[in-house]
Amino acid sequence: MSAPSLVIAVPSKGRLKEKAAELFDAAGFTLRVKGHERGYRGQLDGLPDVAVEYTSAAEIVHQLRSGRVHLGITGEDLVRETVHDVDGRIAFLMPLGFGHADVVVAVPECWLDVSRMADLEDVAEQFARNHGRGLRVATKYMNLTRRFFAKEGVTGYRIVESVGATEATPATGTSELIVDITSTGTTLKANHLKVLEDGLILKSQAHLLASKRAGWDARARELCERILSSLSQ
Amino acid sequence: MTAESAKAFEALEGQARDLVGLFGRAGYEFVAPAILQPASVFLDQIGEQVRARSYVFTDLAGEELCLRPDLTVPVSRLYLERHPLADAEARYCYNGPAFRFQPLGPSATHPREFRQAGVECFGASDKAAADVEVLLLATDAVRSAGLSGFRLRFGDIALFYALVDALDLPERWRVKLRHYFWRPPSFHALLDRLAKGERITPNGLVTALAEQLAGKGQAEAEDVVSAYLDAEGIPLAGNRTLREITARLLDQTADLYADTLPKEVATVIEYFLAVSAPPREAVDRIAMIAHGAGLDIDAALGVAARRFHLLEGAGIDLKAATFATEFGRKLEYYSGLVFQIEAPGMDETEPVAGGGRYDNLLTALGAPRPVPAVGSAIHTERLLAAVGRASS
Repeated sequence: MSAPSLVIAVPSKGRLKEKAAELFDAAGFTLRVKGHERGYRGQLDGLPDVAVEYTSAAEIVHQLRSGRVHLGITGEDLVRETVHDVDGRIAFLMPLGFGHADVVVAVPECWLDVSRMADLEDVAEQFARNHGRGLRVATKYMNLTRRFFAKEGVTGYRIVESVGATEATPATGTSELIVDITSTGTTLKANHLKVLEDGLILKSQAHLLASKRAGWDARARELCERILSSLSQ
Repeated sequence: MTAESAKAFEALEGQARDLVGLFGRAGYEFVAPAILQPASVFLDQIGEQVRARSYVFTDLAGEELCLRPDLTVPVSRLYLERHPLADAEARYCYNGPAFRFQPLGPSATHPREFRQAGVECFGASDKAAADVEVLLLATDAVRSAGLSGFRLRFGDIALFYALVDALDLPERWRVKLRHYFWRPPSFHALLDRLAKGERITPNGLVTALAEQLAGKGQAEAEDVVSAYLDAEGIPLAGNRTLREITARLLDQTADLYADTLPKEVATVIEYFLAVSAPPREAVDRIAMIAHGAGLDIDAALGVAARRFHLLEGAGIDLKAATFATEFGRKLEYYSGLVFQIEAPGMDETEPVAGGGRYDNLLTALGAPRPVPAVGSAIHTERLLAAVGRASS
């Protein structure tokens, strides 16, 4: 079997997987998993030289960054968090209208004196004076947080990495505030957290992305154009 | 980093031996603190921006470590290990590698791995004398390595603090100005608002609570806040206490009802921060600005003047030196004198040596009492390059 002309990486599970399948379906290229139903390779009907790889949303970012795949579907939050020089490596071809998630700065509701990012620097000063250390921000978005806080002039904090149940860390005392994703705000509310008025870091959704480092020969470009124009209809 | 040639390595080692020898003869004991340091010490004291400048990583046991970005904090920790009560006077010197991430890529003048040779002096109660001792040692050291025609640049954080103390301001504003001094963009935004006579408007919630809080003392105000939280079903979380939340609410309430601050405050601070001149002239100019505004900062000015007098007495020519009130706003642990030595043909951003006083660092690292401390570090690769260029 000859090597595929174009490789697309698609999320291997969850809602992103279902939505991606619906998307291709609607565009007239039905996604078919090769071999058994839980295999990790697939094909698009009508495009025999396109290979589909099922992989995790985070891994798709790495594949795009290194150029091992031409196209991929994953969340903008993961791309911006993981890739240092996004513009040189990855092109955002099309927002897909699903996988919506806002990356936000949230503080305990009981902080009645805090509503904006600028308050955080003053709180950090007060906190350091009384507790001998800076504020701790729990998040899995270390880079997005650092960039955003630097832009807002907030310095008196440190990040504690959190890979799950981030929203519970202020209540358990392992952090003072968090940076996390939210779609409806219910989880934050249930954990007595509030989003800062100017604390929206990124309005993220799933995107169709192209790797600028992949081998883009004439056939790959042609396939990309075809898929893109069918998806936009 | 490319491997250095044996010759360059030997030249650096030879220079370092001479520097450390000179420090040793001056009564500074040679120490070699750990290269791997717990990252939390730096993250807590300097902040998250450390990560943007240092090699921070997590080891297999999950501990966050860093390659030391400088030697002042490691040597201070070593002092506290040896003197947990922080009650001894001690003088240490060192030579060894430090590591910094260079966002624009490593270069000859901004390498990511470099060696520092320096001194730290802990617990000396005559601060001006200790400042002068350390500064003279640094100038002797670069001179003995063959550097001549270098320039000195000074700053003094204590003068800014004295100015803020003398200003007619509510304490909450003093705290803000002192804290923001280290964050120039936020500081200038704050000054701008002061200069325009703008009010800091608190959020809607504070405005709603302000009526109940106005005129109340801390204890009474805490009852108001506590009742509000109970009524809304909001639990306390996030490690800040009811006392802390209430204290800031009271500050914000005070801002809401207070007159705006006089615009002159911003003007005085701006004039002060614009001073950059040879030391004696600079001290005179600062005195003029202060007297013109009716502010008494003579004590702090006296300390600065005495220090320069001692330096001149020791043969340092200050006419070619610069004293800039803005200088030294980068490392928050400095508390008084800051200085650097600049080689001919190298600009302000690549000094061959630098240092200053950091009286608050040791308590932040856990010392049970304040320890006056002052130190200086030589960037040995830059020194060698500067000497080499001058002789070729």
